[in-house]
Amino acid sequence: MHGSDLGTLALQLGWCLALYATGASLYGVLAARAEFVHSGRRAALALFGCVAVAVAVMLHALVTRDFRLEYVASYTSRTLPMSYTVAALWGGMAGSLLFWLALLNLSATVVHVQNRDRHRALMPYVTATLSTISLFFLSLLVFVVPAFERLDFAPSEGSDLNPLLQNYWMMIHPPALYAGYVTVSVPFAFCVAALASGQLGDDWIRSTRRWTLLSWFFLTLGNVFGGAWAYEVLGWGGYWAWDPVENAAFMPWLVMTAFLHSVMIQEKKDMLKVWNVSLIILAFALTIFGTFLTRSGVISSVHSFTQSGLGPFFLWFLAAVLVGAIALVGWRLPILRSQNQLESFFSREAAFLFNNLILLGICFTVFWGTVFPVISEWVRGVKITVGPPFFNKVNAPLGLCLLFLTGVGPIIAWRRATPKNLRRNFALPLACGVAGGLVLFALGMRQLAALVSFSLCLFVAATVAIEFYRGTRARQALVGEPAATALAHLVSKNHRRYGGYVIHLGVVLVFMGITGSSLFKEEVQATVAPGQSFSIGAYTLRFDRLSEDDDPHVAITRAEVTVLRGDRVVGLLWPEKRFYKRPGQPTTEVAIRKTLREDLYLVLGALDPPSGLVTFQTFLNPLVTWLWFGGAVMALGTAVVMTPTAAERRARAASPAGERSPSVAEEG
Amino acid sequence: MSRGRALGTLLLLLALCPSARAASVTTKEIEEALTCQCGCGLTVHSCNHLQCGSGIPLRQEVLTLVTQGLSRDEILIRFREKYGEKILSSPTTEGFNLTAWILPFVVVAAGAGLLVRTVRRWTAAERGEAASPAPVAVSESDRRRLDAELAKEPS
Repeated sequence: MHGSDLGTLALQLGWCLALYATGASLYGVLAARAEFVHSGRRAALALFGCVAVAVAVMLHALVTRDFRLEYVASYTSRTLPMSYTVAALWGGMAGSLLFWLALLNLSATVVHVQNRDRHRALMPYVTATLSTISLFFLSLLVFVVPAFERLDFAPSEGSDLNPLLQNYWMMIHPPALYAGYVTVSVPFAFCVAALASGQLGDDWIRSTRRWTLLSWFFLTLGNVFGGAWAYEVLGWGGYWAWDPVENAAFMPWLVMTAFLHSVMIQEKKDMLKVWNVSLIILAFALTIFGTFLTRSGVISSVHSFTQSGLGPFFLWFLAAVLVGAIALVGWRLPILRSQNQLESFFSREAAFLFNNLILLGICFTVFWGTVFPVISEWVRGVKITVGPPFFNKVNAPLGLCLLFLTGVGPIIAWRRATPKNLRRNFALPLACGVAGGLVLFALGMRQLAALVSFSLCLFVAATVAIEFYRGTRARQALVGEPAATALAHLVSKNHRRYGGYVIHLGVVLVFMGITGSSLFKEEVQATVAPGQSFSIGAYTLRFDRLSEDDDPHVAITRAEVTVLRGDRVVGLLWPEKRFYKRPGQPTTEVAIRKTLREDLYLVLGALDPPSGLVTFQTFLNPLVTWLWFGGAVMALGTAVVMTPTAAERRARAASPAGERSPSVAEEG
Repeated sequence: MSRGRALGTLLLLLALCPSARAASVTTKEIEEALTCQCGCGLTVHSCNHLQCGSGIPLRQEVLTLVTQGLSRDEILIRFREKYGEKILSSPTTEGFNLTAWILPFVVVAAGAGLLVRTVRRWTAAERGEAASPAPVAVSESDRRRLDAELAKEPS
């Protein structure tokens, strides 16, 4: 028996188990037969075992370069470094589906273990929902794109992994993004369970709060890593091209961000139940839509997998998810309807509602721009392009509104902000924003968008700083602690509140990075001979020499460029051109000199060996590092929010029957 | 629609409409308004594919037309006539394409309108509940009966 047979068998068995887990769980709960519920749960656990075996078989085939497997022959070669050979697991169509399935079942297993003795009314539906999603992916892997398809012969060499994927980000970005997509399934499954069981209180929200945050954490990282990868690999000097697949990753992030805010209103005031279940359903649907975009070929994208016949399957699944979920919401509408009351427009609740509006507005814009070429072709029969200029123009004003609300949300009072409260909380941050804008204007900045963006960044940063300052001062006055201890205790007592502020600080840094790099970018193209120099900004770049490296996998032509500021040498850069031999594909490796102020981004362009002339494309991208740093700060803040406080750990230990989260009142 | 809102919408459309801006044209500006046809998904200006079969000739054409002194609109019309609408990196601001530009703002504006109305309703409901119950009208006969009953009470 060939190893691939074991993989195929594991997937087929997994398919049967997924079907059984769904059926048994539903029958068990509907017929009140506990033994079927238990059996369904055990089948779901066994399903994870089958998927793990299939992944192990695939990894073994990859690392042993078993070219009899069509997948291994298509995405690896004997000369491919081992790290990328392992990453080839998610580099192709079938492997990526298998990887997705593995992450989904890992999450499902953790959910089953976490809730072994909890949420008895919800769990059968959760098992059924997660198993149904697994069943869909297993159906694709068993019937449509068999992962362990064997060739009639064993080629001596494989086709190799796409050279653009042979980058360290390949080992980080796809797993992060897939983890973000997959973990949305958990709150979705609990949401479906709450709708199906009629238990529509806060239980499903509290139980999945950390899963929601985990999903947001990975979606944030996935998007930031994707930008960093594009920046370092594609060589066009930017990090976000509004490619359909980038958009597909961005949309669930926007909806999950909206959910994380609106859910606080439900926890505090028992409102917005319909809205919150709708947001989770939308977020899950968008993850499936993203997978459809990458695999259907319906919209052209640099990220697409090879065109396949998978598109209709994803579309049908998406339609089934939406119809089923909407039907459930419709059925439960009488219970979901809550007594919605707000005391004032000037309240945190209202600010969160407007934040939701803007986030969904941006999401709609991204969706609309992504699908508009298809709609245009359908309506007018004319192919058009919707590229970065459209997205930038439409999203910029919405993004600035969102940035403003990022500052308003945390400092406006819950329920009703009095004029005194507004003056006390807003005067200083607003003064900081306005003063910052005036200083920048006085320093010569004349771009309105930049002035508004930087002013708002200062406003939001000031709101965060003031909140930390006031909290620390209050603690010092109350307990008499030194400032540093008081600050540490302040954060440790309320991770949710202060972690949230850290995330907002990350958002500020991201906006600063985007504003600086979008509006103040400089670029120069220069053709020079060895020894000649050219300038960009305050830098002079001297092209010293070309050198070459050749190994069985890749041939490299490398330029050595000395970077000077005035007469002082500040660094060396080595941009490269690579030629990957197996697929016969050239790529460009950019060289970047990163500083907090700006990135000097150097691309080796055309070479003319007879004359020795080399063309360099050079960009000066201000504040880009702030963008990556902001992403890291957002991730750090999310980690803080996710970590239970000592009080939460004690409460959970005392009450094993249900996960408890801090009351919203604790957030202030 | 109030005058202020109408003016705001007009200003927004003017700001979005590329043809509304009259300025000396640069090759960069034109290259960013065109999409490279090599499949990279980037604008002609951003495409850095080595010896790109699409981007390099398009840049040459842009340079030629800019050198001839043509305006931005004239150049883009020429490209559109020669290569079709897909060469433009954004939808035009006419006909059906206008919906691409307007709909996001219409959706947000409609959402904002709905939200304002909803919040008003909710705040009104809150005020209604918070207010003290309305005084109950007491008829003259009831008042006399109440006075009589109170008079019987021992002091």
